[in-house]
Amino acid sequence: MVFSSLLFLFMYLPIVLILYYICPRKWRNLLLFVVNLVFYGWGEPVYVTLMIFSTIVDYTCGYFINKYRETNKKKAKVFLVLSVCINLSLLGFFKYAGFLADTLSYLPFLNIPSLKIPLPIGISFYTFQTMSYSIDVYRGDAPVQKNIITFGTYVSLFPQLIAGPIVRYKDVAYQLDHRRETLDQFTKGVCIFCVGLAKKVLIANQMGALWDNIRATGEMGWLGSWVGIIAYTFQIYFDFSGYSDMACGLGNMFGFEFLKNFNYPYISKSITEFWRRWHISLGTWFREYVYIPLGGNRKGVPRQILNLLIVWFLTGFWHGADFNFIFWGLYFGGLLVLEKFILKKWLDKAPAAVQHIYALFFIILGWVLFYFSDLSEMGAFFTSMFSFGGTAITADAGALALSYLPMLLVAGFASTPVMTNLYRKIENTKAAPLLKTLFCCAVLGIATALLVSQSYNPFLYFRF
Amino acid sequence: MKKVYKCLPAIIFVAFIVTMLVLFLVLPKKEYSSSEKRYLQQAPEFTFSSLLSGDFGEDFEKFLSDQTAGRNFWVGLSAYYNYAIGNNGSNGIYLCKDGYLVNDPEDMSGLVRNIGFIEEFAEKSPVKPTVLIAPSTGYVCDDILPAVHKEYKDDAEFDMMKAALPAADFVDVRDLFKDTYDSGIEQIYYKTDHHWTAKGAYTAYTALADSLGYTANPESAYEVTEYPGFYGTTYSSSGFWLTDPDTVEVWDSHANDEKNPITVTITDGADTIGQEGMFFLKHLEEDDKYPIYLDGNHPYTVIKNEAATSDEKLLVIKDSFAHSLVPYLADHFSEIIMVDLRYYSASVSELIKNEGIDRVLVLYSIDNLATDTNLGWLQ
Repeated sequence: MVFSSLLFLFMYLPIVLILYYICPRKWRNLLLFVVNLVFYGWGEPVYVTLMIFSTIVDYTCGYFINKYRETNKKKAKVFLVLSVCINLSLLGFFKYAGFLADTLSYLPFLNIPSLKIPLPIGISFYTFQTMSYSIDVYRGDAPVQKNIITFGTYVSLFPQLIAGPIVRYKDVAYQLDHRRETLDQFTKGVCIFCVGLAKKVLIANQMGALWDNIRATGEMGWLGSWVGIIAYTFQIYFDFSGYSDMACGLGNMFGFEFLKNFNYPYISKSITEFWRRWHISLGTWFREYVYIPLGGNRKGVPRQILNLLIVWFLTGFWHGADFNFIFWGLYFGGLLVLEKFILKKWLDKAPAAVQHIYALFFIILGWVLFYFSDLSEMGAFFTSMFSFGGTAITADAGALALSYLPMLLVAGFASTPVMTNLYRKIENTKAAPLLKTLFCCAVLGIATALLVSQSYNPFLYFRF
Repeated sequence: MKKVYKCLPAIIFVAFIVTMLVLFLVLPKKEYSSSEKRYLQQAPEFTFSSLLSGDFGEDFEKFLSDQTAGRNFWVGLSAYYNYAIGNNGSNGIYLCKDGYLVNDPEDMSGLVRNIGFIEEFAEKSPVKPTVLIAPSTGYVCDDILPAVHKEYKDDAEFDMMKAALPAADFVDVRDLFKDTYDSGIEQIYYKTDHHWTAKGAYTAYTALADSLGYTANPESAYEVTEYPGFYGTTYSSSGFWLTDPDTVEVWDSHANDEKNPITVTITDGADTIGQEGMFFLKHLEEDDKYPIYLDGNHPYTVIKNEAATSDEKLLVIKDSFAHSLVPYLADHFSEIIMVDLRYYSASVSELIKNEGIDRVLVLYSIDNLATDTNLGWLQ
């Protein structure tokens, strides 16, 4: 189930909200656990068993890690390794086995059949969450969860189940048992949810339609290619950050407070800054559980470079089981190393405009790597982007670009914090609730209209 | 009160989603959508196996979106919203000047293949076929199009078709249609439908006279009856609900009055329907009134006229554009057989031999010809 669907908006959400708020407080986690499983199992009911399996395994490991943590470090470590191995095996089997089999089948002497395992929704996200639990309990950074239902609620929590943010256990440990839902928080949640819905349905879907349609015209010219990939650049940001906003908003409606996952990534002045603003919960996860344990920057420059490349290889591979995602990760890893050791001192002296153009240029090129899993198509697209001598834009691509121009401008504008800053100024005035209400009404009305009429509603992050 | 005002967004939000839920639960479920011309998804039956396979979930989502309260309202809102943000034609239909709804340019990549089938047929046919292709509305009526629109490539495609059909007699109506449209007195295409009007069909009829060997009747030979309130298929798929309806016209020639009625026999599967007269006025009850011409799409239709100006037999291989054109032709042929290759799969050359056909007309609109996948049946 996705949030931007009629099923979620007009069936699942109202029913769950009503049940949740008539339910006595002590049963609320159990209720959430049950409705989470319904949410998760809607598309592929069989995989509910996987979710329950994860819950039991990590609950048990966490229990024993905590039990032996102070008395028998070795035993605690065994359970930690067990938990990490089981999580990685799940991820490896369901997400990467098919890719591995396909890759190995290129070797002439191996005869490996192609594997077709449907990817369980959100597995990349919840396995990372449960690993954070075991590791944090081991390190003493988070308390153990004694109640398996509460723990299951955390593992399967539907707002961030499908596309994050990756909520570390220690960030919500207290909230799981002691949250107090308030009307103010609920209202805030509704507004954030509507912002996310607008990002997803009003902007990302439109940009996605532009990108798909412009590619369907065939030859589009170099300018046409740039318009297309810029549309995709917007699509992926508004899609993903819209989903994160909806997750945070829903969390608020049920009394949770999640950390921000995006912070206007496209206003960055360097790639380093971009990755501090893009998918923050993933970056944090890799820094805390991979980069720093590997030694981070404390073991000399060559080791630091190696560590960075390991982290970025993994980051890329996490995004999808294909070579282009690995290239994409290493591409950013390489850029970050370059920036850190060479480019930084020059960049800092450059005018702000140059810094912005530099960052956006490499971010956009990155999305080409990210999009095309077929390497020859990727090559053809790069060629088209840089064939400045040829046609700028074909007639059909031009007509499309002009039709979507207002939305492209809106998307550009919405990628900057201007609106948020304006909102901060009026936040405490008398008119604020009215303006918020009007905004929510407009978004709900238009989003409903677009969802009813548009069969076009694919959710990009499903394959993760 | 202050608290209520502060939480207004939450109140509205919850009220809205709960209302939509309640409306879905209490409103009666519709069986059929007349604007979409399809049966709507009904509540799926729950079984354990359909649940496990995920089919139940999928059908349930279709059920929900098909039965959403105020579905047509939302579709309309979406159409006008997209129009307002500059994306006219996002649903494949341009909202144009003078209340015209025009389909955006069709993908023409299938045209070459289908023209190839027609040429192959023409080479073997004992009778040299006449081919008339109706140009697209957007090409003919280009002054009404929005400033930003995709290109209608009819000119290039017509040149291609002409060159690729040496074995047939290709009647090119581009200039005639443009001139008639530019003279601006009467509509030649509907505003809410993709078909040509009675006037448009008449214009094509005059163009065919030489090739098919008759003298076309002047316009004054017809008694015209107007029926307003026609909402065509472009309208129903556009969502632009505020568009005004068209008027559909019946042009009846005095040549065939009560004494010698024209008889129509329609064979559709095992059924045969017969009627005197070519206009099926029962369809005036419906929003889509175009089927008043020869009762809409059928595989095999025979029109007989004993008072025709010749005793020749004409075969028409066609799409629905022929339905409004054939009534004019009926004055000149004692018998007309129409076959629709979408539903007729017997051999056409056999038919020509067995029925003693004297003339053959292939009539399609360019959009249909480019997308039809049944021309392979032409043999």
